[in-house]
Amino acid sequence: MGARALEIAGTVGSMGMLLGRILGRTLRLSLDREEVMKNLYRMGVLSMPIVIVTAMFTGGIMVIQAAPLVTRLQAYGLLGWGAGFGILREIAPLLTALMINGRVGANNTAELGTMVVTEQVDGLRVLAIDPIGFLIAPRFISIVITLLLVTIFADVLALVGAAYVGDLMLGVSPRTFYNGLTSGLLGTGDIMSGLVKSVLYGIVIGLSSCHFGLAVSGGAPGVGKAVNATVVASAAGVFVLDYLVSFTL
Amino acid sequence: MTAAPHPASEEEPVEPPQAGGMGLAATLGEEALGLLNTGRELYGLFVRTIYFCFRGRREPGAMAFYMHEVGNKSVFFLSVVMGFIGMIMVYQGGVQNLRILPDLSLIGATYLELLIRDLAASIGALMLATRVGAGIAAEIGSMVVTEQVDALRMSAADPVDYLVKPRFIASLVMTICLCIWGAAVSTVTGTLTAYVYFDLNPHTFLNLTLVDAADVGTGLTKCLAYGAAIPIVSAHAGLSTHGGSEGVGRATTRAVVNSSLAVLFLNLVISAVSYILFPG
Repeated sequence: MGARALEIAGTVGSMGMLLGRILGRTLRLSLDREEVMKNLYRMGVLSMPIVIVTAMFTGGIMVIQAAPLVTRLQAYGLLGWGAGFGILREIAPLLTALMINGRVGANNTAELGTMVVTEQVDGLRVLAIDPIGFLIAPRFISIVITLLLVTIFADVLALVGAAYVGDLMLGVSPRTFYNGLTSGLLGTGDIMSGLVKSVLYGIVIGLSSCHFGLAVSGGAPGVGKAVNATVVASAAGVFVLDYLVSFTL
Repeated sequence: MTAAPHPASEEEPVEPPQAGGMGLAATLGEEALGLLNTGRELYGLFVRTIYFCFRGRREPGAMAFYMHEVGNKSVFFLSVVMGFIGMIMVYQGGVQNLRILPDLSLIGATYLELLIRDLAASIGALMLATRVGAGIAAEIGSMVVTEQVDALRMSAADPVDYLVKPRFIASLVMTICLCIWGAAVSTVTGTLTAYVYFDLNPHTFLNLTLVDAADVGTGLTKCLAYGAAIPIVSAHAGLSTHGGSEGVGRATTRAVVNSSLAVLFLNLVISAVSYILFPG
């Protein structure tokens, strides 16, 4: 127990130091702009298929899970509100973050880990290129921006998925769904709360994937282990942050 | 059952696709063919694993080792996640409920129904997909890269029998155990949240009247399906690794993404079927 707590504290501490160094580079604008654009394309645009699938599925699942409750109370008009609230505040940011964690976070760790194992990072240092400014900061910033934009996209898609599954399984027409959504029970506060969360999740995923990627040692098995550690740490971090943000906002 | 969707191709074209290259139809068609192919391969792996479960070697030692690896080592992670999920759900549900109804007495019953029917299994399995799935792919992937799997084949030992089967059985058993444990943890944290934030008596909260056999059955079916899908999808990603440590990283990523998608897909299918079979 004690050893585990110390280990977690150590990891969080070194992630904090990494964050400080990344922010320093960002504020001084000593970033490689081309790297940022390249990473944004790879992380954002190429993740679109899984984001679309995830968002549509979760929207559908939300409605199916709410279905017995809705039919029991005959509250068809409230379906839009219920699904919209759940999707905008919690489910869309959370599940998008988990999928991006799996795809982008894990990939990022694997790439950085491979670079460390094959001594490419040391090579950069030899060439007097700052690895943080050239490799880490662009990736970190791209992950944060990607997750924010992709969450907005997922919000919309999940609502569309929910509306059509509601039509298909419950016979609630998309128009009723839309009216429930805009009946005034949901405000911009709900949307903003979800988006603030997505930025925080992006920070957690970016930091932990860069941290574990740089800390790789021991060849191919080491890379695999680091990827495993990243996804676990980010997923736990995302849930803990979700709790903290839900209670403060 | 394990024919999971597979839309995320993990090829890495760094440059944006050139305009005037492949048309949209060609791209979509290629994706669909790839999806079909992966589905077929996954099904083949699933059938072979089932075959070896009955006709393969008996090795209780390996089984116990992987059960410890998959199960006991995930307990801490899963408890943290499910504990927080319980608190978040009850808090958000309570706040929203108060916007339209001042009466919170049914929130416990609804929460427990939702937890048993869906959340315990699905959120738990998503977490296991990241932890266990990544672990399986990383292990098998590094074995493929270091040619240990080829060595197994050379010694006339089927890698499915030696590597996939023990992980499959361990994951099947441990996913069910962990989901039940996760449900218990989030029930406790949910009850505490309701008591602390909404002054709801635990006796009122722990109301099992809405939970019936159909809910429990749906939840357990989901556990079983996820427990089978995660190791198969991840082992498939691990076995198709190629290209050094970079390849291992890519295989691990693919395992996490595809097993999460498999969980979501199975969730949608099982939820829809159970809603059609047991409406209300």
